[in-house]
Amino acid sequence: MVSASSTPLGPPSAPVSGRFLRRAAGLATVGVALAACGSGGTTGATAGVNYPTQTITIVVPFSAGGPTDTVTRLVAEPMSKSLGQQVIVQNVEGAGGTLGAGEVASAKADGYKLLLHHIGMSTAPALYANLPYKPLEDFKTIGLVTEVPMTIIGKSDLAPNTLAELVAYAKANKATITYANAGVGAASQLCGLLIEKAFGVDLTEVAYKGTGPAMTDLVGGQVDFMCDQTTNTTPQIKAGKVKVYAVTTAERVKSLPDVPTTTEAGLPDLKVGVWHGLYAPKGTDDAVIKKLTDALAAALKDPKVIAKMADLGSAPVAADQVTPAAHTKLLTAQLDLWGPVIKNAGVKTS
Amino acid sequence: MDWSNVALGIQTALTPTNLLFCFIGCVLGTAIGVLPGIGPTATIALLLPITFNFEPVSSIIMLAGIYYGAQYGGSTTAILLNLPGETSAAVTAIDGYQMARLGQAGKALATAAIGSFFAGTVATVVLAAFAPPLADAALKFGPSEYFSLVVLGLVASIALASGSMWKALAMIVLGLLLGMVGQDVETGLPRFAFGARELYGGLNFVSLAVGMFGVAEILRNLQTGIHRPSMVGEVKDLRLNRQDLRQIAGPIGRGTLLGSALGILPGGGHVLASFTAYSMEKRLSKHPERFGKGAIEGVAAPESANNAAAQTSFIPLLTLGLPAHPVMALLIGAFIIQGITPGPNVISDEPVLFWGLIASMWVGNLMLVLLNLPLIGVWVKLLSIPYRILFPAIIAFSTIGCYSLGLNTYHVFAIAFFAVLGYVLIRLGCEPAPLLLGFVLGPLLEENFRRAMTISKGDATVLLTRPISLTMLIIAALLLFAAVAPSIRKKREVVFAEDE
Amino acid sequence: MSRLSRDDLLAGGIFLAFGLAFALTSATYDIGSLLRMGPGYFPMVLGIILSAFGVAIILTAVLKAVRGHPATAGLDEGGIPWVRGALVLAAIMLFGFMVAPLGLVPALLVATFLAALAGHGTSPLGAAVISVGLTVLCIVIFVVILQLKLPLFPTGG
Repeated sequence: MVSASSTPLGPPSAPVSGRFLRRAAGLATVGVALAACGSGGTTGATAGVNYPTQTITIVVPFSAGGPTDTVTRLVAEPMSKSLGQQVIVQNVEGAGGTLGAGEVASAKADGYKLLLHHIGMSTAPALYANLPYKPLEDFKTIGLVTEVPMTIIGKSDLAPNTLAELVAYAKANKATITYANAGVGAASQLCGLLIEKAFGVDLTEVAYKGTGPAMTDLVGGQVDFMCDQTTNTTPQIKAGKVKVYAVTTAERVKSLPDVPTTTEAGLPDLKVGVWHGLYAPKGTDDAVIKKLTDALAAALKDPKVIAKMADLGSAPVAADQVTPAAHTKLLTAQLDLWGPVIKNAGVKTS
Repeated sequence: MDWSNVALGIQTALTPTNLLFCFIGCVLGTAIGVLPGIGPTATIALLLPITFNFEPVSSIIMLAGIYYGAQYGGSTTAILLNLPGETSAAVTAIDGYQMARLGQAGKALATAAIGSFFAGTVATVVLAAFAPPLADAALKFGPSEYFSLVVLGLVASIALASGSMWKALAMIVLGLLLGMVGQDVETGLPRFAFGARELYGGLNFVSLAVGMFGVAEILRNLQTGIHRPSMVGEVKDLRLNRQDLRQIAGPIGRGTLLGSALGILPGGGHVLASFTAYSMEKRLSKHPERFGKGAIEGVAAPESANNAAAQTSFIPLLTLGLPAHPVMALLIGAFIIQGITPGPNVISDEPVLFWGLIASMWVGNLMLVLLNLPLIGVWVKLLSIPYRILFPAIIAFSTIGCYSLGLNTYHVFAIAFFAVLGYVLIRLGCEPAPLLLGFVLGPLLEENFRRAMTISKGDATVLLTRPISLTMLIIAALLLFAAVAPSIRKKREVVFAEDE
Repeated sequence: MSRLSRDDLLAGGIFLAFGLAFALTSATYDIGSLLRMGPGYFPMVLGIILSAFGVAIILTAVLKAVRGHPATAGLDEGGIPWVRGALVLAAIMLFGFMVAPLGLVPALLVATFLAALAGHGTSPLGAAVISVGLTVLCIVIFVVILQLKLPLFPTGG
């Protein structure tokens, strides 16, 4: 490039570009050579017998520190113990979790790149028109992990005290009542869709970017009510900063024993929980899946995992749910549930 | 203030283990923060997993150390290489980098360190003494108030540019528009994303800042004919003399107050801290024309405001369990994984954590200043690396740093795009800082306005009937009037002196 | 009448173009009303404002020229570094294209080599040395010390 520095202005002279091309060609050769040594080192993915022989990566399609990331890190540690290989967590966030899921869908089916995704796996096909993967066909399920319950909460000085009163209040004040959600595809938005159905009211939804700011405005009394995971709501409920109306699970939640379920409160259809499942790309060897299922099941029996999940207001799923069959069944049912609900609500992101 | 709690905090912070973790956090934070383009948010995201294996209190202390350590590190790169990793550093870069070009890199770094330390000390006292009542007051801020606050911030940011006011305004609006790229919060519709799902999450601040500041600067330095003078050859005064100290005392004090106040607001007040402080100093200065050309106040004010805000932004997190910004949201995850539920009860349930963390903040700030003052000489030596090696290194570090956050290659391509845009606009006399601020504030402006309108049923007068909102809009209007009104045109021409 | 400021005209033109592009794209989104603002509302308004600022910058330049004020100069003069600039941009773009399929090492080698070539007085050999050195440094910092899980070589996936 010595000659070029003395060239004042104008397009590059012919010799410069000629040399440049030759250099580029040389580099390409180097690149190919490097590629060759790189792939030569990796072992074949055939054997389920020897699996695992290298580090396993679990992709979380959300940012580090979020609830899904937390769940993943909790199970990753005990899983690496029982698998005898390091299990690391990688955050590939964006587009409501579809970027990370897409990456795993197209990854090599050798059991070294897995996906831990939540309920969003079942809502994405209805929300995103051009999804590059199909949840049921492009993944193999490994097992369910946990289901985080949700709570319906209101600002501390909202008039109604029970869920029935809240329904009546919402009907009487449908022009002014506001519902906060954490953005399209968020659990709070999905719960809002079910609430509209169950209450029979069109809600005025106020959208936030994430649960944090939505909760801030609820605690500050700027919006009327919302429905979110116990992870986010329990501390505010316990401190009396918000009013709690119901939990959206079939049974009462251990950390909130005084709070009635939606069924008890007379709205049995209003059931939603943020379930998490572990996936591998389609074509992964069944022996590999078996090993992963076993490792996951063992991790979910770890007392430390159980204790930390309890802090999240959650618990590992029942042992019979940590199977590919149970996981696939729930995924199928959830795809059937959310597809129509989301389509009827007219939510579409592209 | 309950002294037994303060004693408990100091006791906790001074245990050898916690001192060590605080130190490691500060060092790691500084070391990563100093990498080009990587600011505090990115640093915390990168290092968060490391802390998951430690004891709760120690790991939270370490994370906090990483957080303010990264603020220090980020300013260092902004000053030396014109490479801000976060909004606050973008403001510091304006005058800090000019000081470095004038051979005063050492002075600029020392000013940043001293300003940050002072601000950190004051903000720690604020945090210890008034956290709960302040947090409750901050909740009075609803969408209308935030909208008006952002408007006020945007108007104030005109002062970031020293050239034409119209160009500064246009850069702000272009920044606001770039901030709209990605999925709309309310409907999820991807806007201006050209169908690429990689852009649904919006553009990345790091790509924008690295492109428009760092790489655009490299392109300018590569201009044929202009041989960049080696800066280090002229580094004279590493130390601040008495006159410097007199010059920075006021800006540091005012910046600290302003930053402490803004940091408390959970809805994003902290991003306004550094540049409102800068704008305020420029307006108060008898020689506003020096700003943008290496004014030491232009480093002192935003650095102290930023560090104060960084500290007080822990208030909504610790007292209410509400995260004020992405870093705080990351910390919530860290709390949970440690088995601590962040919420209004942290102070009473976890006094050791709460008071230990506060005490360790001050200890951490002290460590940082002790660590960084002697290091200034080393950092400045970085500039003696021949430029032809330095700039490929900047490009390599920035691209890896940008890619490592979410493995999204679009954020790498965006660097190149904004480098070209930045280069062209800078050549045409448009300074990049207002654009960056517009970019950060754009989503806040839109989201809060839409929320305010939804909650008020489309009644725009809500912005004028709520007293806090009205007050801020009046101040904004006065500022704007002062900037454009022909009657005070003379004064304006000084503020926006058309230089060169 | 003095010479028109070419810089101001260009700057105004760029803002006008961006403003129109954003406003026109916004028009394809739902605009909504003040009560229920659609995704197009805000960018539409901002796009129009930006276009107006663009026009204002052009008009101010014309007015100045008519009144005989000297044209304001941009922040710097001097030629545009076409070749060097292209090398730097190519370095960034190629890193983006190569890093996912080929891994960090090939992407870094190519990117730092091209970037180094853009330096004043750097020979191809010198660039190669800088490139290898920086690649090693980056791997040490990001992969060894920071433990970033980035593939170094093609994974064959």
